[in-house]
Amino acid sequence: MFNLKDDIESLRLWRENIDRKSREIIKLWQSTIEDNLENLGNEKFVVLEQACVAALDTYELNVAKRCIQLLNSAFPNSIRVRTLEAMWFEVDEKYEEAMHILENIIKQDSTNSAARKRKIAILKAQGKSIEAIKELTDYLKIYMADIEAWQELSELYLNENEFNKAAFCVEELIIHNPHNHLLHQRYADIKYSQGGQENIEIAKNYYCQALKLNPNNIRALYGVYLTGTHTSITKNAQKKKDSSKLVEWSVKEIEKRYSKVSSPLSDLEERLAALEV
Amino acid sequence: MPATIIHRFILCVGFLSLSHAGFSAAQHRSYLRLNELDFTHLPLDIFIQALISLFVIMYGVLQVAGDFKEIKASAELESRSWETFRNVPSFYTYSHRGKAFSKMYKPPPTKESLEED
Repeated sequence: MFNLKDDIESLRLWRENIDRKSREIIKLWQSTIEDNLENLGNEKFVVLEQACVAALDTYELNVAKRCIQLLNSAFPNSIRVRTLEAMWFEVDEKYEEAMHILENIIKQDSTNSAARKRKIAILKAQGKSIEAIKELTDYLKIYMADIEAWQELSELYLNENEFNKAAFCVEELIIHNPHNHLLHQRYADIKYSQGGQENIEIAKNYYCQALKLNPNNIRALYGVYLTGTHTSITKNAQKKKDSSKLVEWSVKEIEKRYSKVSSPLSDLEERLAALEV
Repeated sequence: MPATIIHRFILCVGFLSLSHAGFSAAQHRSYLRLNELDFTHLPLDIFIQALISLFVIMYGVLQVAGDFKEIKASAELESRSWETFRNVPSFYTYSHRGKAFSKMYKPPPTKESLEED
């Protein structure tokens, strides 16, 4: 019984943090949850949905089938369950059938955003990223506040090496969530990859902002170091001085972080020794 | 720290004690009225009891209510990495190599097996 409580708690945690821990979820499902479905209370159906998606992700079709059947008997004609059915077809790469179900859902309920998103995911799975981008921009014209969609669009643009457009999407995300250091870091990453003196200057500012929001962001520290070394190559004396100061500071900070974790030098020597075969 | 039975007990005792102090004060007023005396101040013992029970209740509530949240807006995000943040469930695609680990997965026929048939 105690075990069950722990498992439910970890399932809830993964759900809230949106972790993609499909294999772990399936393990919990097989060890405890499956036999204790009636003891879950209010959470029963949410857990079923979570387990279903995890099962599809790990190709455990038996588990997924059982979840969908249970959900279907509890909520006949539910659109949310039909979306899961569409995913079922997706797993077997029967995209035509999945599309057909999703089209029907959209016909029935034209405001259903989940079905529209699945359609875009299918395009992505088929490798039609240009079409996916087109669909997603059309989708964002209707649902402008959908953070997930902006994020996905930025990823799709990055795959196409459209840095400017991807950066725009991340800007949109920063507006929605200005306190998230990861978004600032991401924006800086994109600007840095884009290259050019001006962009690297912007990247440096955003890395600094990310560090300000979360001083433990080691990637941002490295970013500050890299962008700082880039901007220190300039004729402007004042700028040069500022940048090299920043570089010095970031190197010191990085060293400080590593000295806390373990003594880096001994570890480094061991690794180098391992390399010399 | 989860609320233990002891903390709940402390909270209950605090409330009981506070209401007891209240009843005592009301009783004191009615006593004054019956003896036709003027009300000047509460007796010291009732005053002290009320004050102490207030602090006991404050302590109990703080323990039962659960952990405090960090006042910084970004505090919850500090432990998360980009890898979990970029994970978008509505755009999951399932045509990935994770499939091959499943017992149910049958790999597509290879060229040799087709030629054997």
